Formats: sequence, C-alpha cells, structure tokens
Amino acid sequence: MASQAARGGVSLPEKRPPKRQQPDSDTILAKLTNSEIVSKGKRAACDTAYVTKRLLRSTGKAAWIAGTTFLILVVPLIIEMDRDQQLTELELQQQSLLGAPPVGAPQK
Amino acid sequence: MAGFPPPGATILGDDAAEKKIDEVGKKKVDYFNLPCPIPFEELQREAIMSLKPELFEGMRFDFTKGLNPKFSLSHSVFMGPMELPSQGAETLKIPTAHYEFGANFIDPKLMLIGRVLTDGRLTARVKCDLTDDLSLKANAQLSNEPNMSHGMINFDYKGKDYRTQLQLGDGSLFGASYIQSITPHLSLGGEVFWAGQHLKSGVGYAARYENDKMVKLACAMHVPFASLLWVATGQVASTGMIAMSYVQKVSEKVSLATDFMYNYLSRDVTASVGYDYILRQARLRGKLDSNGCASAFLEERLNMGLNFVLSAEIDHKKSDYKFGFGLTVG
Repeated sequence: MASQAARGGVSLPEKRPPKRQQPDSDTILAKLTNSEIVSKGKRAACDTAYVTKRLLRSTGKAAWIAGTTFLILVVPLIIEMDRDQQLTELELQQQSLLGAPPVGAPQK
Repeated sequence: MAGFPPPGATILGDDAAEKKIDEVGKKKVDYFNLPCPIPFEELQREAIMSLKPELFEGMRFDFTKGLNPKFSLSHSVFMGPMELPSQGAETLKIPTAHYEFGANFIDPKLMLIGRVLTDGRLTARVKCDLTDDLSLKANAQLSNEPNMSHGMINFDYKGKDYRTQLQLGDGSLFGASYIQSITPHLSLGGEVFWAGQHLKSGVGYAARYENDKMVKLACAMHVPFASLLWVATGQVASTGMIAMSYVQKVSEKVSLATDFMYNYLSRDVTASVGYDYILRQARLRGKLDSNGCASAFLEERLNMGLNFVLSAEIDHKKSDYKFGFGLTVG
C-alpha cells in the first residue's frame, strides 16, 4: 500500500470497511454479532495480535544482536582479567611463602 | 621571580593562585628545541594499533627460527576462505591454502625482509639508514598475474624538528610529505601525491596532538587520573576523506580509542570505538563499528615464545561471520 510505505516501516494495517449490515437477520445472536461493539472489539484484538507479533520479533532480533556482540567483546575480556588476577594472587602467595615481603602493592 | 602578586593581595582569589602554580611548575617552552615529530605515515599509529588488528579467517600457523642474532627464517601456513570482490550483495568466498617462506636480516642500520608464497607472489622490503638523517625504504611485489607487480621507494629526511619524505613508485606514482612540530605536543603536516596511471592527484593535511602527565595543574582543569596519555589526530585529503582519531591511555594496561571517517564526496560516514587491554599473558583488542560490525582479536602467551591467536568478526548488517585461530612460534 503506497500510503503505508510513505509513512515508514511500522504501522497498523489500514482500517477495514465496516461490515455491511444484513437487513434480514432478526435473531438476537445475529444482531449481537453484527453490532458495533463486537466488530470494534474484534478489530482491536487483531491489531493487538499484530503489534505483539512485531514487537516479539524485533525484541528477539535485538536480543540476538546484543547477545552475540556481548559474547564477542566482553566474554574474552572477563576470562582474561580473571586469569590475570589468579596469576597475581599466585605470585603474591608465593612471595609471601618464600618469606620476602612484596616490594610494592600488586599492580591493578 | 617577577610577576607574582604581593602576598598581601587577597582580592584576586583562586584563579591567581592557580596561575602562580602554573608559572612555577611549567617550564618556558623553548621553540628552538622542539622534539622531532612522528613520520607522516605513522601519524595515526596508536589508533591503528588499537583499532585495526590483523583480523583473519581460517587457520594460521607461523614459525620463526633465528639462526643468528641478525638473521632469521620464517615458515607460515594459512588455510581458510579468501574473499573475492563480487558485484552482488553476496560475498564470494573460496577456500585457499598457502605456504609462505621468508627470510629476515635485521641490523640497526639495514633491514631486509623477503617472502615467497606458493601462489607465486614474491615480496621484498628494504630499509636502510644511509646517514644519521637520511634513510631509504623500498618495497616490491612480484606476481604471476599480469599487472599485479609493483614497487615503491621512499627517501626520508629527518631534520631537527621536521621530517620530509619523497616517494616514487611504478606506474608513475609520485608523492611528497612534510611534517613539522609546532609546540612540544602539536605537530602539523601536509602531503601531495600524483598517480599517473590512475590519473589521480591529491593534497592532504594532518595534525597530531599528544599529551601526557596532565596532573601537574598546568591548566585550570583538574584531571583526576594519575597519568594520562592521549593522542588526537586529524587528517584531510582531497580524495574526499576526513579521518580523525583519539586514543586515550586510561591506565598502563588499558587504552581506549575512537575513530571517525567521513568521505565528503560520497557522503560515507564510519565511526568506531575500541579498547586495547595489554595484560601480562594476553593482549585483547575489541572494536565496535557504526557499520554494525563487532570484532575482537586475542593474543595469548601459552608458553615462552608460543602465542595463541584468536580472531572474530561479526557483521550484523551483512550477516557475515568470520572466525580464525592460529599459533605463532618464535
């Protein structure tokens, strides 16, 4: 739809034309289902389902991008910093075991 | 010393007190004894070291054996997909493998490096210090494919606080550059080049500012870090490219860098942010790009002379994922 494309990526589907009233339905059930409130309620439910689907999909995509970027950039850093800290602790322990006091505070 | 307000003057307040410390602490800048600037092509070397590691895809193995304090041989194996330039949106990758043999002779005055690959390419580099101030650099690449062989020679002259470079290449490539220290921290430079074969010519300008130890209250801003080293560079070229970079050394192990490239002819903008962690057993470089690219490069020391290398690059826009691992011995 041209108007939808002009507005941008995301928008609700265009308003559907109201259902033609059937003039020869006299039963209460038919009157109820053709009433204004019920059709508005149905339209609202469809729109909600549509919006929820789009939202879930974009959240999923964002979560994937954030997750993989975090995995590449941050996880090796945490692992390496942990190893460096273990090595520093080990050296400090060995220095204190051998009796010589450490020369200065361990580098951060 | 002349110029100090008399001790009784209390009207002036904080600014005057800081100015007093300023005059005592800072030496007078001697404009006749400025330090020699960085060579023009290495202007952005801190940013390039932090933000542009040699990412690769596939397996890499390098072995360097020193026969002499000056002479060494190197063997290198690479197996992995190589990208081919393709017109469509899909990147074309072809698995290739090659072995590279190289010899290096390294002397304080003379450096010779040569490499031969199994796909028929030969690369040679020479760097020679002819005198204390004049040095010569040459590199050449020969290839089996037609029109892929080229060579280039550079003459560098280092003056007291300036450097000039003259560049001659095949395909009638001619270039010259000049960089001068303006203050102890700021240097400005320019370059001009002319490529006859592609009928391109251009002019470029560059500026570089570096600073360290800003804690001595030399200016009115108080900087909370213990010792700062930061470098800011900017470069403009008439090919339409403007490049700016800023590197800050946050501590002695960590440095953060950011880079901004703008092409005003094709209106192309790229910005990137990266970090560089130098720990005792490892060096980790990570970068995030505005083109939707995240990349990381890890070099870990497993043993004396044994390094393990991991490289990862994720391109979210093109959905292109590249991972590589390797071992470097010697």
